[in-house]
Amino acid sequence: MENFLEQMAELFEVDSVNLQDEVIAFDAWDSLTGLSIIALADDEYGITITVNDILEAKTIQGLYALFNQKK
Amino acid sequence: MLFNPVSLLDKRYLITGAASGLGKATSILLSKLGAELILVDIDEEGLNDTSKMCSSNVIKVIINLYDISDLKAKIIDSVSKFGKLNGFVHLAGRPYISPLKSINEKTTTEVFMLNTYVGIELAKICTNRKIFAGESGSLVFISSVYGLVGSAANVGYAMSKSALHGVTKSLAIELAPKNIRVNCIAPGFIKTNMLQKISDSFNSEYNDTLTKLHPLGLGEADDVANSVAFLLSDMSKWITGSIMSVDGGFTAQ
Ligand SMILES: NC(=O)c1ccc[n+]([C@@H]2O[C@H](COP(=O)([O-])OP(=O)(O)OC[C@H]3O[C@@H](n4cnc5c(N)ncnc54)[C@H](O)[C@@H]3O)[C@@H](O)[C@H]2O)c1
Repeated sequence: MENFLEQMAELFEVDSVNLQDEVIAFDAWDSLTGLSIIALADDEYGITITVNDILEAKTIQGLYALFNQKK
Repeated sequence: MLFNPVSLLDKRYLITGAASGLGKATSILLSKLGAELILVDIDEEGLNDTSKMCSSNVIKVIINLYDISDLKAKIIDSVSKFGKLNGFVHLAGRPYISPLKSINEKTTTEVFMLNTYVGIELAKICTNRKIFAGESGSLVFISSVYGLVGSAANVGYAMSKSALHGVTKSLAIELAPKNIRVNCIAPGFIKTNMLQKISDSFNSEYNDTLTKLHPLGLGEADDVANSVAFLLSDMSKWITGSIMSVDGGFTAQ
């Protein structure tokens, strides 16, 4: 979990993130950041997700669940 | 007999990535033109499929191309049973969609290994006089429009494909005294599994955008296969070190 939060902070270009933070509310949220999340999911979690999956996950917590559920 | 300047009768080639997409279509076409083939891929089922669709003599080599030492041993073994090679086509490859901020060293290195370095290693093995048939030598690499022009979220892939252009030109010079030609095809987007995998991560709008990038529309696997046949055949005997755009006009704009 801690590692995941650090990765999200890196991609959203902030010092730290909270579980309830909304994905699209980050200043750094754009289509390239979406692609970065997709690439991270593929590279390090071995899962294939889409931009829609990310939008539906809504929050950091939702992304965490997505990363650890869809196998 | 009818005049057929792209006939590949009595020629032998090694094809990587033969189990799927462009490699499969290329193998089937070359086989129709009479070439005997060593079909190389990691995907056994796909290789069986391709080999069933080939009409000439083919042998299958199942291998993970990341394993370079195994590659050499298996090529030497196949050639001892099969006969010496006139060249190869390196079609195995993988995409790497990642913006700069999620790029990582491990995946980038793997992409470079498979897309680029394996091609150099194949050239080293196949031009050795123990393997090379000694005539009509032709090596073909497959890059991409994204080895020629830029696109976002593609830096790792672009690195691996543009590097092939340097490889093509320098090997063309180095191998010219042996009369071995070295060329590269830079395809636009072709309807294959790889494209499917990429476009699955986008929406349908992306697919429309993709189509519009090609004045002649998206390509078919045979469009690349046909160009490979030309570059292997003696019809292209004065062509070496060239990067051939096979992209429906993508890079003409
Ligand atoms: N399809 C396109 O639109 C397109 C466009 C430009 C360039 N290309 C390039 O053309 C080539 C072929 O693409 P494709 O669309 O046919 O892809 P594909 O995914 O359909 O086929 C690639 C083949 O390579 C094999 N392969 C992958 N890793 C391997 C490994 N480690 N060892 C052995 N075999 C391995 C796979 O099993 C597969 O059979 C690639 O180099 C690709 O970059 C494709």
